[in-house]
Amino acid sequence: MEAQKQTLSERFYRALLRLFPFDFRGDFGPEMEQAFKEQRVHARREAGNIGLLRLWWETLAGIFTTAPAEHLAMLQQDVRYALRMMRKNAGYTAVAVITLALGIGANTAIVSVINTVLLQPLPYQQGDRLVMLHQRADKAGLANILYSVPEIKDFRQQNSTLSGLVEYHSMQFMLLSKEGATRVRAGVVSDGFFGMFGVKPILGRDFTPADDQPGAPAVLLLSNEYWKHHEHGDPAIVGKTFQMNDRVHTVIGVLPPVPQYPNENDVYMPTSACPFRSRPKMIANRNGRMMSLFGRMKPGVSAEHCKADLSLISARMVAQHPDAYPKELDINTAAVSLRQELTKGAAPMLLMLAAAAGCVLLIACANVANLTLARMAGRERELVLRSALGAGKGRLLRQLFTESLILGLLAACLGVVFASQSLKLLVDFTARLTPRAREIQVDGYMLLFALAAAFLTSIVSGSVSALYSRQDLAAGLKDGNAHSTSGRHRVHARDVLVVCQVAFSFLLLVGAGLMLRSFSKLRNVDPGFVPQRVLAMTIDLNWSKYSGKPELVRRVSNQLLEKTQSQPGVLAAAISSSYPMDPDNTGGGWNQRLTIEGHPQRDGEHPPISSIRSVSPDYFKALGIPLIAGRVFNEADSDKVPDVVVINRTAARHYWRNDDPIGRRVSFDGGEHWIKVIGVVGDVREFGLDKEPGDEAYVAQAQTPALGSIVLRTSQDGMNIANQMRRAILEVDPQTAIPNVQTLEQARNASMASPRVMTDLLGIFAALALAIAAFGIGGILALTVNQRLNEIGIRVALGAKPRDLLAMILRQGMTLVLIGLAIGLASAMGLTRLMKTLLFEVLPTDPLTFAGVSLVLGAAALLACYVPARRALRIDPLRALRSE
Amino acid sequence: METSLTPAMFQVLLALGDGEKHGYAILKEVEDQTGGEVRLSTGTLYAIIKRLLIEGAIQECRHRPPVEEDDQRRRYYRITPAGRQVAIQEAERMERLIATAREKHFLKRLRPA
Repeated sequence: MEAQKQTLSERFYRALLRLFPFDFRGDFGPEMEQAFKEQRVHARREAGNIGLLRLWWETLAGIFTTAPAEHLAMLQQDVRYALRMMRKNAGYTAVAVITLALGIGANTAIVSVINTVLLQPLPYQQGDRLVMLHQRADKAGLANILYSVPEIKDFRQQNSTLSGLVEYHSMQFMLLSKEGATRVRAGVVSDGFFGMFGVKPILGRDFTPADDQPGAPAVLLLSNEYWKHHEHGDPAIVGKTFQMNDRVHTVIGVLPPVPQYPNENDVYMPTSACPFRSRPKMIANRNGRMMSLFGRMKPGVSAEHCKADLSLISARMVAQHPDAYPKELDINTAAVSLRQELTKGAAPMLLMLAAAAGCVLLIACANVANLTLARMAGRERELVLRSALGAGKGRLLRQLFTESLILGLLAACLGVVFASQSLKLLVDFTARLTPRAREIQVDGYMLLFALAAAFLTSIVSGSVSALYSRQDLAAGLKDGNAHSTSGRHRVHARDVLVVCQVAFSFLLLVGAGLMLRSFSKLRNVDPGFVPQRVLAMTIDLNWSKYSGKPELVRRVSNQLLEKTQSQPGVLAAAISSSYPMDPDNTGGGWNQRLTIEGHPQRDGEHPPISSIRSVSPDYFKALGIPLIAGRVFNEADSDKVPDVVVINRTAARHYWRNDDPIGRRVSFDGGEHWIKVIGVVGDVREFGLDKEPGDEAYVAQAQTPALGSIVLRTSQDGMNIANQMRRAILEVDPQTAIPNVQTLEQARNASMASPRVMTDLLGIFAALALAIAAFGIGGILALTVNQRLNEIGIRVALGAKPRDLLAMILRQGMTLVLIGLAIGLASAMGLTRLMKTLLFEVLPTDPLTFAGVSLVLGAAALLACYVPARRALRIDPLRALRSE
Repeated sequence: METSLTPAMFQVLLALGDGEKHGYAILKEVEDQTGGEVRLSTGTLYAIIKRLLIEGAIQECRHRPPVEEDDQRRRYYRITPAGRQVAIQEAERMERLIATAREKHFLKRLRPA
């Protein structure tokens, strides 16, 4: 019994000793146990159990106060020592810290973007229950044809899974005040829209059901930005009135500064205030689809349940109104999580960037581990000596980890600086892909991630060096020779690290190379027009003045044309409904179903759909679109003569194959009115260089008036005369807004902005990787040369030719590089497939890119090997021989 | 010495003043010489021993007592000349302190023996 009790106490005491640092325990543990045992015997003899209790109390208090102090003292000592070593090797420290900082910085920035955009819930109450409804026309390949008023009513009345269903559409209106005409983007929403998203006005009130009734007085809610920038944050704004669409609109409130989805708007109005949405004809028309629908799933309803509910209603509508849902379009409704909907464009690019940044960090880690190992070779004697003098293994490991941790923390500090500096660039980039970009900021998560990355890199690079140093020390102690064969382990480890660096660099370079190839292909795509020296101006007439008066539109169009054409520097001017790569018109524009005379619609065949643009005669001349057959519009094609149409080459091939389309007829209204084809023009990439041109039809501006923009071919850079043109347009009608002025070259460049930024970012990462890897290879070889000075000296003394020496050292370096290249090549073959969606007309295994990258990497590695090899050649054999 | 001598460290040096001792013996000696007022725990004692070893104020003895009294786990420590010097300086400092305290009448004057 007594013996067992003693062992229990002893065991407990021994366990307590584990609180002390490893070395302390190793030095004094057994003694302390012995002393404690004697203390216990004494205490029991003197004061029995009370004495024992008192002893335990004192012992525990002693251990709990001294153990942390011992750890702290050791840490202080280690930190001091590490800092001293780092100062002594300032070059090594700087390289390690900077490479790690670049890796940590890149990862921190990208991870905080991913965290905000892809991982955080939407900034709305229970944002994950919000869904967006998509009315799809599967057979026509349309992902969302939007909803009409009767459809909205049906979904509201019949669904059982949504606690709220609100509609939204966005329009641009002219807001008239004493200061002049401003174009505003107005969000038109149904009652309950803001409530469903959990947004409450900071001033005034939200829309009420009464505001939404037909004929209700027009009211407005201002967005926070509009209120601040245009109304100077006027606290007495509620009650102010504006003239818009020929009606007086009263401000009833101001929204808080929350990110606005699905679009940024200046003002919001109820459906009753929108002149289009409130027309009785619109309200009754099941085909008048222009609204987006958002819903909130009831608590406990699963996404599947909701989907099933909505598609049932959709099927019922199709059955009840076959006219509105042509069979050949296969219209149906699907519910998509709003979060997914808002971020789907950003996910592939962000994940790709994260992978690239991760690669850079790994390469940097390998580099630091390698540098540490290399440096340890120099410190081998010191370490073996310290070990022999009684510094425990644990002590040395702790020392190594402290060093790499300090490196990591320094790098993290610098990395956060890099990250916060580069965040703006990333936010601009992400903003092209998702509206959530506005939420990105330097936050606690970002700092936490940088810290975690610092610890992780310290552990990775620390463990690698520790792993090999441990084996070395053990062996080094055994035979007491610092240059023992055990060195091979470490040489081996360094080789593995170099191979990894080369392989990862190869991956990154291939990624960047593919993007570069894809981008240059994209840039060289013929857009179908000549973008140089073309100025495009978006024109917004005061809609309420011209609505329903085509005669008036025609007249103002002619005035505008005359006015702009007569300006100096203008070679050709045209009016059109929109222009190619118009940023406001990237979605697909104005599409119409087409009927071709003599081509009855066959069952199961996709109905021809064509994108339509209304243009004045000089449009083709201004943009440099070539005429292929027939003629383009001229002054004679007025509203007094039968309508005519010009089609593009794709449409001509599509509908008439090898026949001549000139003189054939098409209809936009199912055969009620037939329009003659008078000409065929070249294809234009209207919606982006990466989008194949579709079927296009041009109608004459004089016959189908639509005034959206003015395009001008100019004799010099268009932007030079932009202000002059602006004045000319306002002279025709001062109530005109000109929200967007750009040259087509700018429009074309803007359409390539996200692939360009992506290419730049990947290129930066790849260059970084290449530099780090080259540095790593060079550093390792330099070290090997140093270690083999003796051998090299002997060889030189024995008459080895410089050429042989050079070959020997290069062979050693390049063998590793070639192994790395082979591994990189094999993994790249598999991994680049993931990039497929980001590439334009380039195969993920593009042989040219792979070959080019191999060459670049090989050349960089060769150079990195050559520098230390040259040094070896200049060695004085006598000095080399003495180096031992 | 790099760091100042704590009272507990001073006590340990005093305990070693009359010859080498092992850990438990030091604990007992400190308790005895302070009349049971200072009771060091093993943790505190060995943290002190470690510091004194590093500072060179004490050292481990090479020779050990006769086998029948010995325990392999014990180690014996003795004060070094440097350690003795440190302890003397500390004692003198305290003496000066006491003298000052007497002058200022914090303590009674010593009566001649």
